[in-house]
Formats: sequence, structure tokens, C-alpha cells
Amino acid sequence: MEKRRGNNKIDVALLVVMTGLIVIGLLMIYSSSAYNAGGDDPQKFFKAQLRAEVLGAVAMLVVTFIPYKLLRKLGSAPYRYFVLGFALLTVLALLTGLGHTAKGATRWIQIAGMRVQPAEIVKIAVIVYLAGYISEAPDRINHIRGYLAGFGVAALAAGMVYGISSNLSSAIIIGGIAVLMLFVGTKDWFWQILIYLGLLAGVIFVVFIIIKNTDDISHLDFRFKRIMIWRHPEAFLLDNGYQTLQALYAIGSGGFTGKGIGASVQKLGTIPEVHNDMIFSVICEEMGLVGAAVILILFLLLIYRCLRIALGSHDSFGMLLCVGVMFHIAIQVILNILVVTNTIPNTGVSLPFISYGGSSAVFLMTEMGLVQRVARESEL
Amino acid sequence: MALQGMIAKKAAVVAAFILLAFVFLVIRIAGIMRDNGEQYKKQVLAQQEYDSVTIPYQRGAITDRNGTLLAYSERVYNVILDNYLLNNDGDDGRSTEPTLTALGRCFSDVSVEDLRGFVRDNPDARYHIIKKNVSFDEMEAYKAYVEETNAAITEANKESELKSPKINDKAVWFEDQFRRMYPGGSLACDVIGFTTGDGQGQYGLEEYYNDQLTGTNGREYGYLLAENALERTVIPAKNGNTLVTTIDSYIQGVCEEKLKAYNEEHAGEFREGEMGSDNTGVIIMDIHSGEILAMASYPYFDLNNPKDLSMYSEDEVNYLIEREGDEEKASQYLWKNFCISQSYEPGSVCKTFTVAAALDAGAIHDGDSYDCRGYLTFGEGDHATTIRCHQRYGDGMIDVKTAVEKSCNVALMLIGQRLGKERFLEYQKNFNFGLRTNVDLAGEMRTSSLVFNSSNMGITELMTSTFGQGFNVTMIQTISAYCSLVNGGYYYQPHVVKQILDDSGAVVENIEPLVMRQVVSGSVSDLMKDYCIGVVEEGTGTRARPAGYKIGGKTGTAERSGQGKRDYTVSFMGFAPADDPQIAIYVVIDRPNAATQEFGTRYACLLCRDILTDVLPYLHIFMTEPLSDDEKKELEERGKRITVSENSIEDDEESVSVNEVTETEEGTGETEETPVVELNINPNTGVTVDPINGEELDPETGVPVDPDSGIFQDAGGNSIEIEVLHDDSSGDDDPRL
Repeated sequence: MEKRRGNNKIDVALLVVMTGLIVIGLLMIYSSSAYNAGGDDPQKFFKAQLRAEVLGAVAMLVVTFIPYKLLRKLGSAPYRYFVLGFALLTVLALLTGLGHTAKGATRWIQIAGMRVQPAEIVKIAVIVYLAGYISEAPDRINHIRGYLAGFGVAALAAGMVYGISSNLSSAIIIGGIAVLMLFVGTKDWFWQILIYLGLLAGVIFVVFIIIKNTDDISHLDFRFKRIMIWRHPEAFLLDNGYQTLQALYAIGSGGFTGKGIGASVQKLGTIPEVHNDMIFSVICEEMGLVGAAVILILFLLLIYRCLRIALGSHDSFGMLLCVGVMFHIAIQVILNILVVTNTIPNTGVSLPFISYGGSSAVFLMTEMGLVQRVARESEL
Repeated sequence: MALQGMIAKKAAVVAAFILLAFVFLVIRIAGIMRDNGEQYKKQVLAQQEYDSVTIPYQRGAITDRNGTLLAYSERVYNVILDNYLLNNDGDDGRSTEPTLTALGRCFSDVSVEDLRGFVRDNPDARYHIIKKNVSFDEMEAYKAYVEETNAAITEANKESELKSPKINDKAVWFEDQFRRMYPGGSLACDVIGFTTGDGQGQYGLEEYYNDQLTGTNGREYGYLLAENALERTVIPAKNGNTLVTTIDSYIQGVCEEKLKAYNEEHAGEFREGEMGSDNTGVIIMDIHSGEILAMASYPYFDLNNPKDLSMYSEDEVNYLIEREGDEEKASQYLWKNFCISQSYEPGSVCKTFTVAAALDAGAIHDGDSYDCRGYLTFGEGDHATTIRCHQRYGDGMIDVKTAVEKSCNVALMLIGQRLGKERFLEYQKNFNFGLRTNVDLAGEMRTSSLVFNSSNMGITELMTSTFGQGFNVTMIQTISAYCSLVNGGYYYQPHVVKQILDDSGAVVENIEPLVMRQVVSGSVSDLMKDYCIGVVEEGTGTRARPAGYKIGGKTGTAERSGQGKRDYTVSFMGFAPADDPQIAIYVVIDRPNAATQEFGTRYACLLCRDILTDVLPYLHIFMTEPLSDDEKKELEERGKRITVSENSIEDDEESVSVNEVTETEEGTGETEETPVVELNINPNTGVTVDPINGEELDPETGVPVDPDSGIFQDAGGNSIEIEVLHDDSSGDDDPRL
């Protein structure tokens, strides 16, 4: 029996901050969806989210108290292949009769009345896989072949998510998590920063070229359309420009302290799907800049706690798990707010713990459970 | 461990960048709020209006005097297709095909092929009007069809593996609005007017009473209460008021039918490709109240489709378009109400006003004689003017009555000289010529500049004015003035609306007859009636008399100035029945399509006769005159009942009692109004008597005290011989107190 390290205590601060975000999220979902839920049950979306979060809390609790050995075993070969393999199988299941289509895309699988988004499973699986892959043989990824092997697996997962469920945003998030986890695991600073910043600049350049040379968007792929909409939302109201523009109106009209909780006007049918990806606009409208800052500070605290737990961990697998989760949350928060403020083209990214969405809530809380499990092992 | 240290270091660096990114986000949000805050706030408020639903008001109806609907607003529905819901039906848009098929089946002139293309090309369009103005029944039929079909599909799907898509009942919805309907088609088109697409009245009552007919839109909207609860509120629409007009649909219908028959008969008769006349107008008025019972003109138009010209021949339409300039102007010409909106020189019908004025002023007296030698010369030297009488060799020595009967110009000019310019103008003004009658219809013409005043009326103008040439009038002015000549001298303001009701039927306003002034004395009025009866009995207007009736009237033939010698405005203006005038009628044929003037005047008389033959029996006015065999035959052919009593034909004196019956009918039979109950006092007993059923009433309680008082109830109907309310000893008194 290995000598027990760590204080065996969960991180209360992390739990409090997460709970705070979830409570605010539930409040805002209720506030923003009550009108759109229709006459039957204004609490329809609120209740569905609450159910998912109860389920998530159970998952988090289970993960928090599973033996650490078991967790480590999941990260080691060959178990981590099973973990990732299972996740990718759920993606493949979209192609079968289990796939469920809504709003023009097949992104859910339906089993026994429950709908799950495989993309969310893939995110957590990639974190576990890479944490195991990097910590198992630390020097491996310092060589180009080892790096590419790790990156390739993540790229395959991202590619499948994009190709099968045409969910570009989740693919970007998975790629982002992988790039950052590999970055912190390697000795190299210079080349990675150069290559990735170069790639980013390239993408921006291509987008810029498209904007310059396009007047008519009707023949464009919907992603390119979205780029055009991003620059001129008011010109494309019949396409997705409407949602973007209305979200901007909501943010702009909020002012410093907002209109007061529940007082949003834009949520009353004006912003489509307001309780999903655009929920941050209602937060801005109702709670103003102050409320937006509070939400961002809570996320910063969450990220800070993840970092501290990682730093206090004795073992590189646990560390990588924590920073992986940390990157996941940070990327999603940043992307979501960039979209809502129309800083980047519209791509469906939900705001962690706050946006409406059962799969996202359950698996994010499961990730929190992983961090808590590591926290019990770390010395703070 | 090296790895752990590195991870910690690099993770901390990434976290620092995350912190920077967050700071950037806060700055970005603050930037949006700072730079666009005000604009977006306004934008958000501006958008709110679109979120509430307007509940349209119902425009008020227009009825005739008996409650028959002339115009009303019917709730109709627009069929709206939501492509987005079709394509996002949770079934990969498979519901599109059955839905479009159902639409094609239930609504005529909806092309499924076109819709298919539209749905394919505009997958996100959420509001597309497929069909407008669908009736409630059509909408219900569609809904029932959808329900049945979907139930059948559900049943079939239970059996089969193949899941057939259902009709998407959410993607098609109905938006309600109101459509103006005119059940009479062209009936009373000039009086009613029509409404534009946005509910604004044009012409006639629709325009004049637009404010009364228009209601206020209601609104359904949501707002947030202080406790953050969403509240939906409905402000109901306030519907417009209903107009009860004085128009009688039957009389109006008769007039229009006769005008149409006349004009169609004479179309192209003399001038090829033109209608029977430029305009033909008729007004029938209640002389005791100024209520207009009918007002019609030809050419007419279809109220439900005002721009439709298909009822006229191609030549006629072309002629109209050529004369008026373009099609739009030709339509406007039809929409214009000839009876109030066009002036003309009235001609000889105005001789009645000249004679009445001279009699009333004391300038002439009944029985004065004038010598007509066929012309009259007045003025001296170079200014000498000669005006001819239409009787070339003169009418000889004639008295005033004969002058009117024969329509002698010379006698009228001599009368005019006696009356003098100032008094002539004063009476003309009293008869309201040159002023608007203020009849409650849109578009009444101003004629103030079309009559003479003391500064521009010389002797020639005075002379021509005496027989109705040189100045302009409108039909409504002329007949309103004429009513005062035959009703004892009281000038009533003509009106078309007698009551305004709100949408629950409660009375908002009663419009009572309005006496403007007394223009001539009662005795002059009696003389004028006598003269006018003479015109029809033995003068120029004999053709105007309907079979079995005695009426009075005056013919008129006016040259249209500036149009060459061949154009005339011919007319007949009369009252009926002769012994107790109830209605006045005025028929004007403007530029009849006939070769000679003589024919034109005859047409006006015949048209009047034709109309009265139908209208008088309808008004429960009994025949008083013997019928010739030809007349009996004519009435039989027209399906008219002979309402004259046998003994009145045999014995002239008896006919008086028949008239008495008619007299007492006033207020009960003729207009179907609720009789005005006035309590009479039996002079014998001093007891109050109910004039309706003749019961004696207790003056304190109003309760009948002695129902058996030997009062005679006329067997013919509900009319009562009021005479019996008086004792035999007071039989000489006017029976109407």
C-alpha cells in the first residue's frame, strides 16, 4: 500500500465557485426561457437543466470518490485507448438509428429517452487520454514523432466530431485543449508558439481575403456566410445576422448596472434561442457590465483554483488532468463571449455551467469531479 | 520532477494569457456599451412594438332606413405559410409535401407547384401570404381537412412500417383582418362611396362619416410586472359606429334600375358610342323632413370593385377615357356623385322659384295677366336685347298659372321685371342657390361663384335667370328648395343619415330634421302646388303623371352654355301625391343622347313617371284618378295592384275620403317609422285619447280607462281615422291637431 499523500480534502472554494456559476446559470435560464417556453410550462427549460445538473452532481460525486489508482489506470495504456475509443464510438453512433436530429444537424444520440451529445464525451475523453499519454512517458512528446502521435489522436477525434456531427466549434475546442496540453507537456517554447500563432494569422488572413472579395453570400457555404454576417450583421438579418445583432442590442442596452434581473426585453422572443449560446447577452442586459464582470471573475476564480490544485498535485497525470479541464473551460468561456460580442464569427459555443444544455452540464461537472479527485491528492 | 515543474510553469503562463483574454473581453463589453449603448437601447425599445399584436377594429356598417345592410365589414383571413417551420418540423421537412398538397386542395388558385418552388428557394422565410381574404368557412374547411387527414395518417402509421409524414398544422396559420363588403353591389354607390385598402373612406358617406365609421385598433402585448412576471394584456379594439341612412333600398333600387334601363335603351342613339346621356340623376326626398329616400345617378360603378368598367360597352369606355383623359380619371368620373358634385344650368324648373318669389314678395298676384308675343325686347339702343319664347308666335294673354303651365319665357321675364334684381337675388339666396346645402355627403360642389350677385347681374342676366339660364345649380340644391315650395314654405337641410349607432346597437346620435328658414308663406306654397299640378294636368309635364295618380311638377330644358346648340340638360321636378305632397322627385338628364330637345324633355317626364309608378304604391299612397284602359293594361303588365277604390273613380267627391285615409297614414305606413305618439284630447269628454288605438287614457296614470269608445278602426290596415277622435259637431276642424 502506497503511503497516502495529500490532505484527502476536496477543494471547497472550487465547489463554491462552481455552484455559484450553476445557480446563476439556472436563474438566467429561467429568466430568459420562461417567455419562449410557451404557455404550457414556463419552467420547461429550467426544469430540464436542473435535472441534468442533479445528474451531473451525482457523476461529480462518484468521480470525486473513486480510487485514485483506478483513475490513473484509466490514463494508462491500454485503458486510455478504451476511454477514447468509447467516446469515438458514441460519435459513430450518430450515423446509426440512434442519431437524433434537431435544428438541421445530427448532434445527439438518443438512448432510453435520454439525449447525449457525443462531442461532450469526446472532450473529457481527450483530456484523460492526453493526460495519460503525456505523463506516461514525459520525454516522448519532445520528439516530433511522439508529439504528432499525441496530436494526431486528438486531431482524429476533433475531425470525427466535425465530420460526423458537423460541429466545428466542438472540434476547435478539442483541438485547442490538445494543443495547450501538449504545449505545457513539452520543453519547447519557441517552435510551438511560432507555428500556432502563424496558423492563427493564416486563418485570419484567409478570412480577411474572403471578406474583401465577396458581395454575394448566397452561394457560400454556411460557415463562410457566417464570416460575412460577422462583419455586417445588419445586412444579413434573414440569415444568422439577426441573432448576432439582437445579442449586441441586448449587451449595448444593458449599461453599467443593467436593467435589473428579469427585466430583459430582448429575451422576449427577440433573440432566437436566447437561453443557449446567447445567454451571456441577457446577463449583460439584465446585470450590466457589473454582472458580466462578476461572471468573468467567477470563471477566473474557477480557473485559478484548477491551476492551484494542479500546482499542488504530486503527480503529473493529475496535474495534466486539472490543466486540461482548466483549458477546456477557459477556451469555451473566451470563445462564447467573443461570439456574443461579435468579435469573431458566430459559431455555437455554450457558456460553461450557464448555458442551457444537459450534456454539457453533466460532463463539465464530471470534469469538476476529476479536479476534485486530484485535489484530494494534492497539498494545498 | 522536471515534467511537473515544466507543466506548472507553462500552465501558469497560459493562465496568465487567459487572464489577459478575460480583461480584453471585459473591455470589449464595456466598449459596446459605451459606443453603442444609447443607440442599442433605443433600438431595443423600438423593436418592442413589433412584438405586440394588433387587433383590428371593425369598421361600422351602413344600413338603409329599414336596417338593410348597404355596407359592412366582414372578418376575413390571410393564409400565411411559415417555411422555417415546414423545414424544421423534426421530420427532415417531410411534412412539406402533404402540407402544400392540402393547401392546394382547400384553397382555389393556390398553385402547389409555385409553393414548392418558393419553399425550396426560401427555406427560412417565416411569413408568406399564400392567399388573401379567405372566408371563415374556407378556413374552417381547411382546418377540418387537416384534422381528418392527420387522424387518418396516424391510424395508417400504426399499421405500417413506413411512417407517412403528416400535414404540418403549425406551419400554416391565419391572420385575420376585415374586408369591406357592399351586398348591394352598385346599389346607392354614389351615396355610400367606398374604402381604400387601408380603410379610408372615399366619396359619399364612407368619406363624410369616416371618423364615425372608423374605430380604434386594439392591441395584445406582453410586459413585465415589477415582480418579473410576464403579463399579457389585451386592449380590445373599439369598433366603428353604424350609420342608419334615410335611403330606402327599394326606392333606390327602382331609381337605379330605371336610370340604367333608360341609358341602355338610348345608348348610341344619336351620338354613336356614347351612353344614353352624359349623366342622369334622380333624387327622391321626403318633403317634410329633408330626408333623402333615394339618390342615384348614371353612369354607376360597382362598390365591391370600383375600378371595374366591364358593365359598359367597349365604345362607351373608350369614349369616357378619351373625354376624361385616362382610365383613372374615367373611374373618378364614375365615382363622382352627379347629384351633388356637378352643376348645370337648371332651365325652366327654376320658373317655379321665380314665380314663388314674386308672389311671396307681393310683386305679382295670382291671376295677373301677361301678354306674350313670342319675344321680349328690353334695354335701349345698342344694348337692346331680344329674347324669344319657345312658342314662336307667342302664348297670347296668359295668367300666372298658365305661364307656369306653358313655361312661358316672356311672362317670366315680365314677372322678373316686377320683382327686380335685389329681391330676386334675396330670394335666390333664401332658396339656398349659390350656397352648399351641407348635405352629409362628401364632395358637395361649391356654386357661390356660379350664381350672380348684385354687382354682376345686369338686366340680361336677371331676365335669363328668371327662367333658369345663366347661373348654375346642383341637383341637391334644386330639390331641397323645391321641397320648401310644396311643404308650406319650410326649407329643410337635406340629409342622408338619420341615426348613428355604436357597435352594440345603442344610439349614439339621432339626426333630426332641421328647418333652416321659412322661404315662402303657406299661401304661396299652396298656389305653387296648384300651378305645378296644372303643369302636369294640362301643361308641359303631362307625360310625367303615373297611371292612377295625380301629381304636380315642372319640366325644364336648359341649353348647355359653351357646348353648341345641340346640347341640353333636360329635367322634371315634381311632387306626389298632388293633394297631400309627401315626396319630391327630381330627374335630370344631362346631355341626352337624342336628336332634338323635344325628345329630351319628354324622356325626363317619362323617366319620372316610370319611377313613380313603382314607388308610389310602395309608399302606400293610394290611387285617386280614373284609369284608362291603356293604363290598366300597363299596370297589369307591370304587375301593379290597382289601389284606387271603385267608388272614388265613379264619384269624385268620395275620393276626398280616400285621400283622408292617405293623409292619416303619414308617419305610419309610408316610411315604416315608429309613429310619433301624441296624446289628443277628446273635446267632448276632455279625456286624453291615445291616437294609435283610440283608447281613452287616464290623464294621471296614462292607463286606458274606457277601451270601448266607439272608435272606428280602419279595416284596411293599421291606420286610424283620426277624425273620429273629434265629435261630429267639430267635424270642420283640421283633423290633425
